[in-house]
Amino acid sequence: MGKVKNRNWQVFVFLIASLILTLIFATSTGAVKISTAEIIEILAKKDSDIVNASILMDIRLPRVLLAVVLGAGLAAVGGVMQAIFKNPLVDSYTLGMSSGAALGAVISIITGLNARILGMETTGVFAFIGAVLTLFFVYSLAYTRNRMSINSFLLAGVAVSYFLASVISFLMMLNHDKIEHIVFWTMGSLSMATWNEFFISAALIIPSLAVLMYYTRELNILTMGEDAAHHLGINTFALKNVLLITCALVVGSVVSTGGTIAFLGLVAPHIIRLIIGSDNKRVIPYSALLGSILLVLADTVGRVLIQPAEIPVGVMTSIMGGPFFIFLLRKSKN
Amino acid sequence: MNIGKGSFFCIVGPNGSGKSTLLRVISAALKPQEGAVYLDGRSINGIKHRSIAGMLSFVPQNTSLEFDFKVSDVVLMGRYPYINKLKGETGKDFEIAEKAMEYTNTTHLKDRSFMELSGGERQRVILAQAFAQDTDILILDEPVSHLDLQHQVEILNLIKKMCVDRKLTAITVLHDLNLASAYGDYIVMMKAGAIMKQGTPFETLTADGIKEIFDTDVYVSVSPVGNKPYIYALTKPNIEKKGIRVHVICGGGSGSDIISRLCSEGFDLSSGVLAIGDLDWKISKENDMQVAEEVPFVGISGEAYAKNKELAMAADAIVLTGLYLGKSNLKNLELLLEKDLEGKPLFILEDESFAARDYTGGAACRLYEMIKFRNNSILTDSKLLKEEIIKAVETHGESKE
Repeated sequence: MGKVKNRNWQVFVFLIASLILTLIFATSTGAVKISTAEIIEILAKKDSDIVNASILMDIRLPRVLLAVVLGAGLAAVGGVMQAIFKNPLVDSYTLGMSSGAALGAVISIITGLNARILGMETTGVFAFIGAVLTLFFVYSLAYTRNRMSINSFLLAGVAVSYFLASVISFLMMLNHDKIEHIVFWTMGSLSMATWNEFFISAALIIPSLAVLMYYTRELNILTMGEDAAHHLGINTFALKNVLLITCALVVGSVVSTGGTIAFLGLVAPHIIRLIIGSDNKRVIPYSALLGSILLVLADTVGRVLIQPAEIPVGVMTSIMGGPFFIFLLRKSKN
Repeated sequence: MNIGKGSFFCIVGPNGSGKSTLLRVISAALKPQEGAVYLDGRSINGIKHRSIAGMLSFVPQNTSLEFDFKVSDVVLMGRYPYINKLKGETGKDFEIAEKAMEYTNTTHLKDRSFMELSGGERQRVILAQAFAQDTDILILDEPVSHLDLQHQVEILNLIKKMCVDRKLTAITVLHDLNLASAYGDYIVMMKAGAIMKQGTPFETLTADGIKEIFDTDVYVSVSPVGNKPYIYALTKPNIEKKGIRVHVICGGGSGSDIISRLCSEGFDLSSGVLAIGDLDWKISKENDMQVAEEVPFVGISGEAYAKNKELAMAADAIVLTGLYLGKSNLKNLELLLEKDLEGKPLFILEDESFAARDYTGGAACRLYEMIKFRNNSILTDSKLLKEEIIKAVETHGESKE
């Protein structure tokens, strides 16, 4: 046991260190280079170059921190859903939740319902509703005669996902004037990040992560099967509802600020499991950390690769995640 | 049904008869449409999930994990109903898990990954988990169906041991009726969602009882070890009839092998004269054959002799097995020298030890020599018998025409 624990600590320390380095890298790189020393000066509120301070505080920092929160949310949700459904291919994307959220967002853009309710953008509210409705629709499709088969759940998720994607394309066709705005949602981008968006996302995602963390022990037992979980004293129906609604909340808030960002939720938990095993008490928080690192990296690389243009972060995660996922599949076959 | 403490209950029944559903209703995984399950006099649907888990544990047919856990982690999950969420597992929980692994002989697997284990090992680990759960009732859904004989016995022995050592009540669905008979204190028979019969193995596992539940003919005897009913399936595949009648003169088990073999080849058989209760008589009856029969030890009466002759005459061929001959069945040999049977193909299963089988002081030997040299007697052995009969019947039929 001792050895394994040590390794867990090593991994944890490594992840924290990588996150800090990534943050420094991300905040200093861009059209304007800001040195590490200068970043510290600005953060310490010493007198420094006003332009650089403004770039850092108003543009880069909110964007990078938003990536931290969204990445953590997506990765943790992916890990939780894979455990709930006992299937390594599940994430918010394959279950149609991301597409549902995107459709919600697109509808709010098209109808111009872009007001603020209680400090939240309507777009975000619509994205959340889209995510929840899609989840329960897919769920009800797969749930027949008191039984749910994971295969039909995945198939229903993928089918609904495609359907919703084509609905979005159709809406884009009808609304040429807003096409750029919609593309932003479907591709996933963090370029609109502001402090306000960061605070709203953090306020939604961080408590949700706490809820997911609270149930990791139950999540472990759930991977033994619903029958087993029931007989070990878990109200599986209630537990799954709590977890899935929390996941939908996270996905909704991620999509409403960053659009649909693929592969992150799928890949991050797998990498962690390869290193430390399947104990969700560690997989979920470590995945969240890794998710943050990966999203910040992806966003930064996308930002600087073809300057002055930007590659949307969703495209970046797909480009990086797709091959890695195939690598994982081949590795697990061996 | 009413379930008492410390016993081993087996639920048997055909596929789809509701056995698993019954188990899940008992364990409150499903709500009954009618009726209720009472645990210690309380309705189980009124008890909290966690409290139920402290009273009742469950072992499924097979546990497969998509994500890998260590064996010790899987066993420790059994402590979940007792764990304070904020404190986590205490030293006591670890201690109980260790003990559970010792008891189920899985300690050496502790650090192995659950997915790497064989079916039997996995099932032992799941039993260790149930042991760690420390319940009074253990529910098992076909716990050994996918295991080989060695592991079936190993797992069931372990469960039985838990019943005895810990006053545990085991309720299990078993497919194998003989295992149910050997281990069950009490058998519950289900068909089409209803309990048809319940009681001790001797009360329930009767040929009639099994016919009613499984719609299958079986032969039930008593297992020589353990004094429990032992069930044999009667394998009677639907063989196309050859249309050849063969009469077998046998007795004392000398004809059993031939009868089973010819029957399964599609011959129409009869036999005689056999004492009622004789081994060959039993086999003949099981195969629905016409039998010339007689009360044991009294000798062959005129009536039985006539019946035997009638059957022999109706047959296309006669077979004489290596039977023991005494005064009571000597007439079976005399029959073969009857004029009416002259020329009918007679197959003698020769074993060169006729003298040793003769308990008549030589009379049988003399008859036997005469029979051997009668017209159309054929000495053969049981391996060639089938082909020889077919051949002889064909040529005999041609010569008649």
